[in-house]
Amino acid sequence: MNDPGATLAISGLTSGYGEAIVIRGISLTVGAGEIVALLGKNGMGKSTLLRTVMGFLPAREGNVVIDGIDVTRDAPHRIARRSIAYTPQEQAIFQDLTVGDNLRLGQVESRWFAEELARICDVFPFLGERLEQRAGTLSGGEQKMLLIARALMARPRLMLVDEISEGLQPSIIERLARVLVAERERTGVAVLLVEQNVRFALEVADRWSVLKLGEIDDEGGSDMPNAASRIADHLSV
Amino acid sequence: MPRRRSDIRTVLKFGIVALAVLAVAPFFLDIYVVNILIRALLLAALALTVDLLWGYTGILTFGQSAFFGIGAYACALVFTHWGFGAQWALLALFLGIVAACAVAALAGWLAFYHGASPLYGSIVTLALPIIVTQVIFAGGRTTGSSSGLSGFPTYYWSSETWFWIAGVFLVVITGLAWLFVRSDMGRVLVAIRENETRCAYLGIPVSRIKILLLVIAGTIGAIAGFGYAAFTNVVAPELGGFLLGTELLIWVALGGRGTLIGPVIGAILIDVTSSYLSGSLPFYWKLLIGVLFVAVIVALPQGLLPEVTRLWRRLIGRRTRMADAPTLEPITAQEVGRGTGQPLVVRGVHRHFGSLQVLQGIDFEANRGELLSLVGPNGAGKTTLIRCLADGYERSGGTITIFGRNLGKWGPDRCVALGIGRKFQAANIFATLSVAECLRVARYRLDPPSIWASGTTLRLPEAALRIVEETGLAQSLNTEARHLAHGQKQALELAMVLALEPSIVLLDEPTAGLTRVERERIGAILTSLTERERLSILLVEHDLDFVREISSRVIVLHQGQIVLDGSVEEVVGSELVRNIYAGASLDAGSGPT
Repeated sequence: MNDPGATLAISGLTSGYGEAIVIRGISLTVGAGEIVALLGKNGMGKSTLLRTVMGFLPAREGNVVIDGIDVTRDAPHRIARRSIAYTPQEQAIFQDLTVGDNLRLGQVESRWFAEELARICDVFPFLGERLEQRAGTLSGGEQKMLLIARALMARPRLMLVDEISEGLQPSIIERLARVLVAERERTGVAVLLVEQNVRFALEVADRWSVLKLGEIDDEGGSDMPNAASRIADHLSV
Repeated sequence: MPRRRSDIRTVLKFGIVALAVLAVAPFFLDIYVVNILIRALLLAALALTVDLLWGYTGILTFGQSAFFGIGAYACALVFTHWGFGAQWALLALFLGIVAACAVAALAGWLAFYHGASPLYGSIVTLALPIIVTQVIFAGGRTTGSSSGLSGFPTYYWSSETWFWIAGVFLVVITGLAWLFVRSDMGRVLVAIRENETRCAYLGIPVSRIKILLLVIAGTIGAIAGFGYAAFTNVVAPELGGFLLGTELLIWVALGGRGTLIGPVIGAILIDVTSSYLSGSLPFYWKLLIGVLFVAVIVALPQGLLPEVTRLWRRLIGRRTRMADAPTLEPITAQEVGRGTGQPLVVRGVHRHFGSLQVLQGIDFEANRGELLSLVGPNGAGKTTLIRCLADGYERSGGTITIFGRNLGKWGPDRCVALGIGRKFQAANIFATLSVAECLRVARYRLDPPSIWASGTTLRLPEAALRIVEETGLAQSLNTEARHLAHGQKQALELAMVLALEPSIVLLDEPTAGLTRVERERIGAILTSLTERERLSILLVEHDLDFVREISSRVIVLHQGQIVLDGSVEEVVGSELVRNIYAGASLDAGSGPT
């Protein structure tokens, strides 16, 4: 199932913390321009998988291939330089920097910054109004928006997104779904989306996988008529 | 409270071995080494206090040498100027301890008052030895100024006797400290190091504990200094100086901070080695120690002892032994602060950050048995409002009354005593403590922790216990909280808040990151708390379906003002909410799944 043309190809990946193994032999691909949702109950290893892909946790077995290059043993900053944007779940913005500075850090190239900033502020107008505000003084939901905005600034080839919809008001979640889909159309970004919000996940994703006890338990396409109920079954057990 | 037997047995076992080694050591060692060791043993006790403060509680202190100097000078001054004899010795020790306690209390008050940042503590303790040294310099002939005092009468006991005195002192202090840090109160110290804010919101008087700890550490330091002066018959300003204070940090870091034994061994080894090297390599030994320090910090950031024990465990093939998880014992909650009258009355509360008005003219009240949901767009001021209710320092103006009592300018730990429990938006727990330990720390106010033992049962009110059991935390009581999944951290914090037995519960997105099923379970627990136990719950939540299911009333906050306050149907179905908040998704009929 390892497609050489895939943006992200994970095969047989195993990792964990200390003596505990959290994910076991996971294989998953995300093709160029594809959005894949990763669902599952708490503690099943979703965030751990993203952390291992980004190199924050060492892989015990298996490998991670991005655009055909094996990055399994690479340091996080080297992986990030392959145009990978990761939005972690906790404590991910620079609290003491301004909103503008946080966004600036999202785009390495100075010549693209103004253009990207204008585009992002179009999507999230409040960010444009508050470029000088210290990011730590934004509300919880606003920080989440800043986080995804910073990731989008980078024009990434691959986005690893961890529960971005948490704590956002419904209308913003709607907008976020539209933004992700539009971004995929525009730049062909591949997205691996960890979510609790099944409705949002199915709305944007092409395919879905359910993680259970560190292994992929079920997967399918989002267009399956019974996708939502099948996932709900997995989450309720 | 039942004690953990194995700890006391370990301390006795190692204590007896250590005492036996000390008893015979002088007969095998060179007299020069014995003399050096006496000093090293006393300094090791001082290093141990640094580990208590820095390693366990997270107070980076440069000032422990000041207390050593105070104890030493108390001895030298009394013996020089007043007289010598048993009663004078006791008086000198007493005065040394009193002076050290007073200085520690004052320094602690300056360093840890409400709103002081951790930097204050370090700066105050940095200034402390400098001030003590200056006072000694200014003392003229009384203190001997820069040349110190020497030749005062003292007990000219043999080196062996002094060695045994210093040794027994160190073993006793280490044994007691070992029991203390492994007790439930010791876990509270680590909790303070890990997350002071959460401690305050659990009603733990953080500043008072830190000041008390500094006073105890100062007392131990003064006794060690007293012993040093009585033994050497010489005191100099350097004993209370900043250099020694910094060296102590190096010894603790090298030995392994937060291990107690590591700093003790580190202090002894380095002090003895230094004494030797300063004889044979007078100019290079400090450089050598410096290089060693840098090398250890780079290669082994934890210090030497943790590496040694790890190696040892690997050699004998034993895994880290886990303490047994405590048995959970359900109790009936006696709500804290419950009085007569309305639980919560808010009048004219406003909050601004500089020119930015975040909340204005907030008026509402919460009734008993009510589950009041607070909804509004991101950035409407919901979290700010919760913050104002849980910390009297937060609001810029207006009054908040809890069961008829004015909240005034009370810090979060005292708000807990009024019956308020707050859960933060991002899970706020103690990363390196286990789940059981986190819950026990939350019981600080109601079940005061033992300072020398660790309880085998953990009393939890029914609601907290249900959360622990229904979210699977009961199976991970021994897991360190940082290894929990995000949603489990949320559940743990909620259980910790309910363990406070609050009358008013403030919940900032308690179910974020949880699955639908887990949400429903938590929703059921919350509604039963309001219905059966008549608690008031204030809930910030984005999932309008969830809000609809469990709330009895809804308040809508928009741009810092209350724009709607009414029943669930009135609010959720309103045009206003549709426009400012829900967008199209409400038409589709459901919120997040």
